[in-house]
Amino acid sequence: MFIINCPYCGEREQSEFKAGGEAHIVRPKQPTELSDDEWAEYLFMRKNIKGIQFERWNHTHGCRKWFNMVRDTSNDEIKAVYKMGEKPPVD
Amino acid sequence: MLNYNQALPEKKSFQDLQIEEIKPIMKLIIRGKKREFISAFGKALNILLPTESNTSTQSDKLTALWLSPDEWMLFSNKPIDENTNDYDTEKLLNNKISKINLGAITDVSDQFVMINLKGNKIYELFQTGSPFNFNNFQNKKGAVIQTILAKIGIIVHNQDKNIVNLFVRRSFSQHLFSWMNDAASRL
Repeated sequence: MFIINCPYCGEREQSEFKAGGEAHIVRPKQPTELSDDEWAEYLFMRKNIKGIQFERWNHTHGCRKWFNMVRDTSNDEIKAVYKMGEKPPVD
Repeated sequence: MLNYNQALPEKKSFQDLQIEEIKPIMKLIIRGKKREFISAFGKALNILLPTESNTSTQSDKLTALWLSPDEWMLFSNKPIDENTNDYDTEKLLNNKISKINLGAITDVSDQFVMINLKGNKIYELFQTGSPFNFNNFQNKKGAVIQTILAKIGIIVHNQDKNIVNLFVRRSFSQHLFSWMNDAASRL
């Protein structure tokens, strides 16, 4: 259990949120030109790093907005929280 | 006469805590992003939508709760006529906002149940089932938050000191009410 600082609502407990997986995955511009392997790479393959990871989160039991979070997966330390569409912070 | 089924037929009283459903209350969800939308809303109803997070605004007849940067809940301060589910406020907003595509108005009067809690044990009750820290909230008149109580999503509005309005989806209301009665009986 940890506290997340929602960029819209302020500090709330983790159970109000849902994790939405890795952030900043760009959809290929021409999906029809991709091979099956490349398409599977885009659809299913995730980095799942131990360490600092960029993630999407949704405040389901609050404002219901999506936002991005930089989290250290080894100790759940939240490095930064920023809104959708904003540039990720450079460490 | 509408066939209106009350969600929570009884009123419960405990020491320093009273819980009851207030009905029928008009509730509307207002959505919009444009600046013209906020000013059109203000002109139509003479009430400004709160733009600061977790706050509310109030006029004689209506209260507007902040839910999200582009979403608000508007509800009537007093119970309305039981014989109709046609609301002048909704009609007015439909004409001034929905029809010219400034924003969206949705009637959620029957979707949400409004439960009024009174007494100085309210926050002790919330503490038993909510992860939210109510310490600052309870001293801030007009504060609004959405959180979880007994794993059920709720909207809480601090109406006045030791008076709180709680909104819960109708299908969850009976379970929440019996959970609150159980929790309140052992405070």
